[in-house]
Amino acid sequence: MSFLSLFRAEWFKLSRRPLTWILLAIFLALMVVYFGMIFLLVALNDGMFTGGESQLKVLADFQVEQYRRWLSFPGVFGATFSQINSIGGICAIVLTAGAMGSEYSWGTLRLQLARHPRRERYLIAKIVALLLLILAGMGIVLVFGVGLGWLFGSLLGDAGSVGLGDILAIPLAVVRALAVMTPYVMFTLASCTFGRSLLAGVAGGLIFLSVDVSLGGITLFVERDSPALLFYNLLLQQNINTFVTLNSRSFGLSPELLVANLDMNVLPSPLQATLLIALYSISFGFAAYWWLARRDIPGAS
Amino acid sequence: MSTDTIIQTEHLTRRYDKRLAVDDLSLEVERGEVFGFLGPNGAGKTTTIAMLLGLVRPDSGRAFVRSHDVQQEPEAALASVGAMIEAPAFYPYLSGRDNLRVLARAANLPDRTADAALAIVELEQRAGDRFRTYSQGMKQRLAIAATLLADPELILLDEPTNGLDPAGTVEIRELISALARGGRTIFLCSHILHEVEQVCRRVAILKEGRILAQGAVDDLLHRGQRVRVRVAGDPARAYDILRQVDWIGAIERRDDVLLIDAPGERAPDINALLARNDVPVAEIRADDPSLEAFFLEVTGQP
Repeated sequence: MSFLSLFRAEWFKLSRRPLTWILLAIFLALMVVYFGMIFLLVALNDGMFTGGESQLKVLADFQVEQYRRWLSFPGVFGATFSQINSIGGICAIVLTAGAMGSEYSWGTLRLQLARHPRRERYLIAKIVALLLLILAGMGIVLVFGVGLGWLFGSLLGDAGSVGLGDILAIPLAVVRALAVMTPYVMFTLASCTFGRSLLAGVAGGLIFLSVDVSLGGITLFVERDSPALLFYNLLLQQNINTFVTLNSRSFGLSPELLVANLDMNVLPSPLQATLLIALYSISFGFAAYWWLARRDIPGAS
Repeated sequence: MSTDTIIQTEHLTRRYDKRLAVDDLSLEVERGEVFGFLGPNGAGKTTTIAMLLGLVRPDSGRAFVRSHDVQQEPEAALASVGAMIEAPAFYPYLSGRDNLRVLARAANLPDRTADAALAIVELEQRAGDRFRTYSQGMKQRLAIAATLLADPELILLDEPTNGLDPAGTVEIRELISALARGGRTIFLCSHILHEVEQVCRRVAILKEGRILAQGAVDDLLHRGQRVRVRVAGDPARAYDILRQVDWIGAIERRDDVLLIDAPGERAPDINALLARNDVPVAEIRADDPSLEAFFLEVTGQP
């Protein structure tokens, strides 16, 4: 049984699953809300609706300037990648839990593994299909984000411009965004194979995300020259923040002006981030395989 | 292992916590036969099938399919095996056809094999409907179609007639017979004994994880090898008379009925012998017990 055949089957299942398209629709709707709120914030600050007579200033000028950049090119790319790695992360967890956990709940894992007993191949095919599907979703979201940026930027009177360097930065940003999601995808898979259910996958993935983000937030209270920072920089969230920050900075944004710990002077180096994210992903992926390979495959629950 | 053996288990054992699901199970299934694997609910039938498919690991013992150890060489063992285990499990959001396409693609088979399998189980009319809208009978038929996709030489069917109406049950029975005529080996798990009796040549009866009886149906039921006599006179006297006859084997006495191990064609001789000795006979015939009666007797169920 070739890997490519298993991948084709996984892609067929995932791309036809209503959950996939529902998650994409929810994500796009939330992007409209989010970009719309940023637009309102900047527009009210400028007094756009009153011809400049009445201005609502709730943020400092440098912060408003950052948000203005979110809605004009090339900053809109950075803003879209930021959304991909926040809301998109949650969507990826739900998608992954659905893809693996439902196989247990519906009893279809027995159907599959009775035919393809090499469980590692089955798991790798599923992981590749999931990551490629997330990549395809990312493409759609990016195009949608560009459209929103152009719309809101034009309404604010400055849509900005895109240079060749910005276009060339997109592929690397896509790779970084995918790398940020991969450990969560792997942890969710491991939760599914450990708990052998959809619920275990969703709960495991979301709890891990919450704990990880919360631990990452602790760095807000850590002194820059504190030895504790070395420890905190081994946390997954800190290394993910490196990639998120790099993606924002690639498109002219300065995220540290909005969130203090998104500062490259504090965050791990890109090399460390690459290595640690890979290490976390491989460890979680191996755990997923270990439990899939070692445990009985139950029928439908 | 003989080359004619397609399934062999050696002392297969599996325990779930304190419950022994399968206990030292050893059986052999010959290539090309329809083998019935019988037992009451919870006897360990599904666990055994799951171990044959590598889905559940045995605590001890080994399972061989197509001469390959299922744990050591799963791909080789299961390369030409189709299985339906427990309730039909498919993707509810996909149509019946798309569900089979998923399996076909994973097995590197062309999509048209899905349509061919659907035609065999006569499900073409509803092939485009979502699985979740199917009746129980349609789900069962789709599950059987899934087992046929890769034209396997061994088919494992776990309760294929569950939830079917009488007409559906007959259809599935005929389908199993047709598949068997095509030279495939069929390992049929069921507790509908009437169905099993009609299609299986050999059976094993399982209870609480242990095999209680195993062999050809005719041998187990002593078909054609037993004579049943209901004595109108004194059964004890009849018993004593018949015990003296050298071509009669064991005699089992149940009230006024004697079950005599003797060829069915000797029934007239037995009748004549008893008549000569003034023991009137109310009824005499070749004993032809049903598998159901045998099953209930062996498993000790009321």
